[in-house]
Amino acid sequence: MSAAHSTRLEELLPAYALGALDGEELRALEAHLASGCAECRRQLDLWEGDLEELASSVEPVAPSETTRRSIQRLAGKGGAPTPASARAARPLPFPRWAALLAAASLLIAGWSAVRQARLGEELERLGAERDQLARQVSGLDQQLGLARAESQRMAETLAIVTSPGSRAIVLAGLGPSPEARGHTFVNPERGKAVFYAFDLPGLTPDKTYQLWWIEGGKPVSAGTFDVDERGAGSVQVERAPRGATDAWAVTIEPRGGVPQPTGAMVLKG
Amino acid sequence: MDSIPSQETDLVRRIASGDGDALTRLFDLHSPVALGLLVRMLGGRAEAEEVLQETFLQVWMQAGRYEESRSTPRGWILMLARSRALDRLRRRDARRRREEEVSEDGARAVHPVGTDRLEAVERSSRIGVALGILSPEQRHCIELAFFEGLTHSQIAERLQAPLGTVKSRILLGMNKLRQALSTS
Repeated sequence: MSAAHSTRLEELLPAYALGALDGEELRALEAHLASGCAECRRQLDLWEGDLEELASSVEPVAPSETTRRSIQRLAGKGGAPTPASARAARPLPFPRWAALLAAASLLIAGWSAVRQARLGEELERLGAERDQLARQVSGLDQQLGLARAESQRMAETLAIVTSPGSRAIVLAGLGPSPEARGHTFVNPERGKAVFYAFDLPGLTPDKTYQLWWIEGGKPVSAGTFDVDERGAGSVQVERAPRGATDAWAVTIEPRGGVPQPTGAMVLKG
Repeated sequence: MDSIPSQETDLVRRIASGDGDALTRLFDLHSPVALGLLVRMLGGRAEAEEVLQETFLQVWMQAGRYEESRSTPRGWILMLARSRALDRLRRRDARRRREEEVSEDGARAVHPVGTDRLEAVERSSRIGVALGILSPEQRHCIELAFFEGLTHSQIAERLQAPLGTVKSRILLGMNKLRQALSTS
């Protein structure tokens, strides 16, 4: 039975085809594909077709004569194994003893090739298991690193918010998202600030939110941020203004941010 | 007259039934691009030739498993070659990490595969045109994933870029590639 199609998981297919997915996203998509979503399987084949083009984009390199001979031997043109169906059709131009010897050689070579292939498959399986374990360890390392970074970030945020000299600025939602709001905490002594946004709508992948402070009528970028599914986002401002500011604001800008605001203002305070 | 992919599919069928001539024919058709891909991924010519031989041994042994509905014979061979090269890169990476862990001076090993762009691509080719419309950052992320087998997190670490940025560069880049390939 085909599983229910998911557009959220479909978005992961290009990265999956590239081999770039990892962590929870990889597990979720593999489980979805294993459950038999025919549409995702079809899309995956299309992405793999595009990657065929990418693979073909390299400069061709002619194989060496050694490699070519090796393939010819494999194909039975140099005395190596030829599968039974093809061999049966060919006449034996040698004396009987030579034919028997050749047949024995072919059997031995054939057995070696099959054994080599089986060993290759076994090695491949073991290699895949080892890679899986390596990925798990690497994933745990990353989680630990992220947890440490998060803990440090929280400590810094707390230091900014709880400092006696800090001041708080409330940003209210404008035009497109009146229900949104934001809080900026500025610590002038440390020259740092933290900003939190709530209830902002999600943006298309080519857009981002950008935080600004306005000083002497001029906007200065304080960083870009995205929001999660609840509409929450934050920015840690490492070089915040130490003096007074006219206002703080958030605009919608092209991904990566811009030096001066160009898009709609969604928060101001 | 049969189309080229259909003739090649016929070659794969013949290989599955033990036709050595079909194997050499398919090798002559696709080994230069497959070897080009392997050299690009692995860096060393000798290792690339070794993996090329392994790839065609796999073609010989597993031609019966080829699914015509899922890819062209060329695509199948290139993906077999890429998969083997990625195994080698991962083994190499694991070995390098172990060596780094025990190295006293802690100097970082230089990654053997460069992240150079696809300058060699002929500008007039279909994929060359498609790659040309990507931003350098999008292209770089896609190349790191495809040719070096790096995941989103590993690319973010390598480029010192936020994970979300890397994900959107890859998603937008792949969508642009798809669009360009479908219109060219």
